[in-house]
Amino acid sequence: MAAPCRRMATRSLLQFLSCFSRTAVGNAGFRQFSSTSVCRATLMTQSVTESARSPWTLMAAVCLQRLPVISADCTPIEQQFRQMMRQMELEKSLLSDHELRLLEDAERMSRKQADDYDSDEDDDLGDQEIVLAQDLEDSWEQKLKSFQPTPRVTADADGDLTSLERCLADSLFLLAEQQVGGGKLWLLPQTRWQDGETLRQTAERALASLPAAGLKATFLGNAPCGVYKYKLPKAARTESTFGTKVFFFKAVLSGSGPPAAPNAPLLWAKKSELQRYLKPAYMMTVDRFILGL
Amino acid sequence: MNTVFRKLQVSVAQQAFVLNQALTLCRATPSVQHPVWTSVNERQYKTMPTHGIGRWRHLLPREAPKKKKDRHQMKEILAETDKAYGTLNVKVSGYDMTLVEHYSQYIHNLCNRLGIKVAESYALPTKTTEVMLMQEQGTKMFVDAVLKTHSRVVQLSSLNATACPVFIDVLLKNQPEGVQLSVEEHTEADFHARFKGRPELEGLMAQLGN
Repeated sequence: MAAPCRRMATRSLLQFLSCFSRTAVGNAGFRQFSSTSVCRATLMTQSVTESARSPWTLMAAVCLQRLPVISADCTPIEQQFRQMMRQMELEKSLLSDHELRLLEDAERMSRKQADDYDSDEDDDLGDQEIVLAQDLEDSWEQKLKSFQPTPRVTADADGDLTSLERCLADSLFLLAEQQVGGGKLWLLPQTRWQDGETLRQTAERALASLPAAGLKATFLGNAPCGVYKYKLPKAARTESTFGTKVFFFKAVLSGSGPPAAPNAPLLWAKKSELQRYLKPAYMMTVDRFILGL
Repeated sequence: MNTVFRKLQVSVAQQAFVLNQALTLCRATPSVQHPVWTSVNERQYKTMPTHGIGRWRHLLPREAPKKKKDRHQMKEILAETDKAYGTLNVKVSGYDMTLVEHYSQYIHNLCNRLGIKVAESYALPTKTTEVMLMQEQGTKMFVDAVLKTHSRVVQLSSLNATACPVFIDVLLKNQPEGVQLSVEEHTEADFHARFKGRPELEGLMAQLGN
């Protein structure tokens, strides 16, 4: 157990530089990341001189999440409150330049239509007489009508568990069906730790080894966020393998290449759906660090 | 008139009686001294035993007098196992000022709650962008919209490596629409970019150098 921790400890400087931005729905559903020099790890590959090996198999898993693309809908109370606040702010606010201009124009029009109107009395305003504020407003309304926002809820994609476009208001987590021990299990993608690499690199390898090509992820930090201990049943225990310890690392999806083959054992699930796929003990551990915000 | 005078006399007598009673009460407690009002200019109440009862500034530790150039940078050297990042700048920028300010306040409060030390919290100057469109008839460009980019910075002095993924995850999950978040290291260039340039001083220094 000391091996990976020591490797993390001997790194001298951790430069973590990343940039996240949230843009309109029209873009591909990812936030644009510009992560330069995510981790300048001066890895010291010290030879492992410990004689007593721990009896646990070490594995690292990656908890890849696609962040919500749009904000969640408001509850009825929130909607009512929002409406009330809007009304209050509108009533308390002062008139803006544009609204003052509208009033002036309306007043000038009414004066022009009066019988005893002398155009010399008015100040020479030049352009403002030609382009009224009302005309500007009309042109803006026209532009707004021609703007088509993309639909918030994609009903088709919601049901398809392998699609990334489902449930835009929630965060989705990647699950893979992997061969563990006897049979196949649904779990967060994991792989075994090898000598000479850090646990985070193991997690990156786990992500890269998935059949879905081109899943670009940004790892949030070098420290794991959770541990799952699994003791093998007494029959399977040997001298060297007592059980496995899985370390979880959090990562955020930053881009995806061509879609995976439809038979790939991958799916994107919300937090509430994870329970259907994961084993209860595993689910309890995973539940602790997955934020259901 | 007579009734008025009589009433006044009665009231004066009553007041004298009350004052006599007060004097007797006071004489019973000799520790309390009466301030004698000889003149308006003398501050007689400094002799009261409770004078200066509310003083507290003399109990604080002595602070060195602040010089003008006292904004030094705080850069932490990383420890061994308990990894902590150096000075980090969490920059929040966007077009909507209320969203940007509220989000930066949320980050600040979150840091206070999680025990992450916040070194500074400041605003960078607003950048104005003018969106110009080509006119349909003609080659002139006219101003279509004016967009203002506001940005706020929350500077963290030490962020634990164990807290980092949790912290950033919470920030990302609560990021509002239309707001960009960026986490960078704090550099000298960032620090000096906040100050206004002084062209005359630089000219004089160049002359001195020559």
